Amino acid sequence: MERLNFKTTAVLVFALMFIVGAAFVPGLAQNNDKIVVGVSSPPETMNPHGDDSDANLGVMADIYEGLVKRVGAEGEIKPALATKWKKMSPKKWRFWLREGVTFHNGNEFTWEDVKFTFEHLANTQVSDFTSFGKAIESIETVDGDPWVIDITTTRPIPYFLSNMHQIFVLDKESTENRTPGEVAAKGIGTGPYKFVDWEEGSYLELQAYENYWGEVPPIKTAMLKPIVESSTRLAALLTGKIDIMFGVPVQLYQSIKTNPKLETITRPSRRSIFLGINNAEDLPTSSPKVRKAMYMAINEGEIINTLMRGHAKPAAQIPDPPTFGYNPDLKRMDYNPEKAKELLKEAGYEDGFSITLWCTTDRYIQDEQIGQAVVKYLQKIGIDAELNAIPKAMYWGKLKDKEPNFYMLGWFDGAFSFTRSALKLLHTPNADKGYGVWNGAGFSYPEVDALLEKSIDMTDEDKRLETLQKVNRMYMENVAVIPLHYQQQIYAVRKEADVNFTPRPDKWPVFWEMSFN
Amino acid sequence: MLSYISRRLLQGIIVLLGVSIISFVVFQYLGDPVLSIVGKNATQEQIEEVRQDLNLDEPFHIQYLLFLKDAVQGKFGKSYVKERPALNLIMARFPATFELASTAIVIALTLGISLGVFVSIKPQSFLSRIIMAGSLFGISIPTFLTGLIFILLFAVVFGILPPFGRGETVSLGFWRTGFLTASGWRHLVLPSVTLGMYSLAMLLRLTKAEMIEVLSDDYIKTARAKGLRSSTVIFKHALRNGLAPVLTMAGLQFGQLIAFAIITETIFQWPGMGRLLLSSIYNNDRPIIVTYIILAALVILLLNLLVDILYAFLDPKVQYD
Repeated sequence: MERLNFKTTAVLVFALMFIVGAAFVPGLAQNNDKIVVGVSSPPETMNPHGDDSDANLGVMADIYEGLVKRVGAEGEIKPALATKWKKMSPKKWRFWLREGVTFHNGNEFTWEDVKFTFEHLANTQVSDFTSFGKAIESIETVDGDPWVIDITTTRPIPYFLSNMHQIFVLDKESTENRTPGEVAAKGIGTGPYKFVDWEEGSYLELQAYENYWGEVPPIKTAMLKPIVESSTRLAALLTGKIDIMFGVPVQLYQSIKTNPKLETITRPSRRSIFLGINNAEDLPTSSPKVRKAMYMAINEGEIINTLMRGHAKPAAQIPDPPTFGYNPDLKRMDYNPEKAKELLKEAGYEDGFSITLWCTTDRYIQDEQIGQAVVKYLQKIGIDAELNAIPKAMYWGKLKDKEPNFYMLGWFDGAFSFTRSALKLLHTPNADKGYGVWNGAGFSYPEVDALLEKSIDMTDEDKRLETLQKVNRMYMENVAVIPLHYQQQIYAVRKEADVNFTPRPDKWPVFWEMSFN
Repeated sequence: MLSYISRRLLQGIIVLLGVSIISFVVFQYLGDPVLSIVGKNATQEQIEEVRQDLNLDEPFHIQYLLFLKDAVQGKFGKSYVKERPALNLIMARFPATFELASTAIVIALTLGISLGVFVSIKPQSFLSRIIMAGSLFGISIPTFLTGLIFILLFAVVFGILPPFGRGETVSLGFWRTGFLTASGWRHLVLPSVTLGMYSLAMLLRLTKAEMIEVLSDDYIKTARAKGLRSSTVIFKHALRNGLAPVLTMAGLQFGQLIAFAIITETIFQWPGMGRLLLSSIYNNDRPIIVTYIILAALVILLLNLLVDILYAFLDPKVQYD
């Protein structure tokens, strides 16, 4: 089914004309203390708990800080509002807080702010992180010292620390004294940048915070401009209105790469794309042989080379290498349609069966096109496959209701935890415990589930890692999902801006990590 | 006249009620807004809690009545994402869209009528043929393509106009205007021409058709035979009579431009209501979507009424009672 897609057409037309336009890029004087970044999704709110999307969290990371922060290309955990920490027991963490930190309104940072932050986090009216907020049992000072606190959780959360970089600390006083709407409109944090002005849909202006507890960032003025249409974003880069372009579509990559005034930067993205399958007994896909056949039928190399234009890495599992639980020994099953047909025959389905693949039309890079390709590969080995591609706004509800038997999903874990990913994506759905929420086809493998649950309480990190890797391997050997690829992040930078920019694994536009050469 | 206006307003209220019901029904099927509010890590229990907070667990007609009760008091609910009143958020974006649409309609009206008159007087000239061919492009080329071509030509290749955004704005109370700065005007050129292109072409063709019809009427021949100056005949006698349908169409078009400038706003990253609507649809932010649609319907209704009243002044033969 071919139809004229607005986005694709626009991008293609622009890419064609771009070759003409490239010769005319005007030279521009640089402004040496300001950097403007053009992004595709604008921040929606300045309430750091109000939206758990990367587009929002990434901006929050400039204005606010968590107890810890993640820095650099590998997303290493470093001290922020806490100077050190210790895991006291599976349910208790101790943090030593940093003294002498002020919020942008001059208020001093105290342990009360941390306590308030978690209360705010648990409030469904203002928070997208309620399940994390509600898992906090208590926050108390240790021996009356207000700079040492113990955070106790209601259940063991193995990824507690690795999630703390995105739990941004609010100022108790100014948050309580303002309405939620006011908090959502103006950010007050302890971060390296303070909020200056936000004209929604136009720009967000930030200024380096002169009283920051650490090193004041070298870039004094930071602007974030949302430009949704990628062709316009490129035009903005070409005309010097922005210095760094986030989210370069794969179709525009070649034309930017050949432009002498621009530089492209790529890095593997954390997000993997995979296909989930139902293994309920009454379905053909209950047989592992059938699922293996489907895996082997998909020519992932071709998908990467043609649809992704080379901008993806093949995946053999859901987590990416920095995730705790990634198993380096897992390998993709080879593309082998002949073997796939044999497997189908062995399973008694040599005449195929019908199946519908569900996917989004507007969420992942080339999602609908990938869906079309998968359907064709499956048809080649005799499976009567068809595609049901729908907008993401409708898609999530269908997944939540476990309506599909076969679906596409992209995932990366903000807490770098395979425990969390697996509980959401692979564990047998269990509404009471909140497990398998995004296990859209209701895949079930109770033996591995049990092992996964057991790993939650393990205090020995080495043993926990080993167990998680085993869990990961068992799910993959059973083809709980068919992994496809990790997307690649592509950025373009104007050479004249002379900016030093290293993309982060989480794609956050963090200005304090940028500098001028 | 008064009774006519009040009757029209009454009809308008019924239409608005209809629109609100339809938009409410449609968004029942647009996916579950609770999912986009609570985040992807929420448990079933938290989802139910939010659902109750927002009255989304009530049956449809109760939800609608609750909405109606608040709406008549001017309360359209709070945005799920931005935690601020939907109406305020939309009104904050309204000036940008209004300035864009009004500039577009002014361009479309002045150029459309003057070129239309020219073409009707000199239908055979070379210039007229070019104008008529151009108007076909204006009607048939999709807005996003026009916009991209403009950006490429005038911003990237020639570098004379900015590619996106609104430029510097000045705040007059709640109204942020771009009309008072040079940068604001420069930023307005490309998006307003892009947005007005279709209306321009349509008004041009309509003016031409009306003028050709009127110019062949007997009274025009009489006027010419009397020896009146050609310009008097065309502008005073012919144009005034030919203009009525053009103005009706312009009024309707203006409503459309305000309510549905979404594509132009997307291409030029114009911070207007259309962009807000689009991002709200992605986020399933129902209060904003429903409020927007009702406001758009209201704007179109009021503009229609205004046009009908104008009609009476333009053409004394038209009587309302």
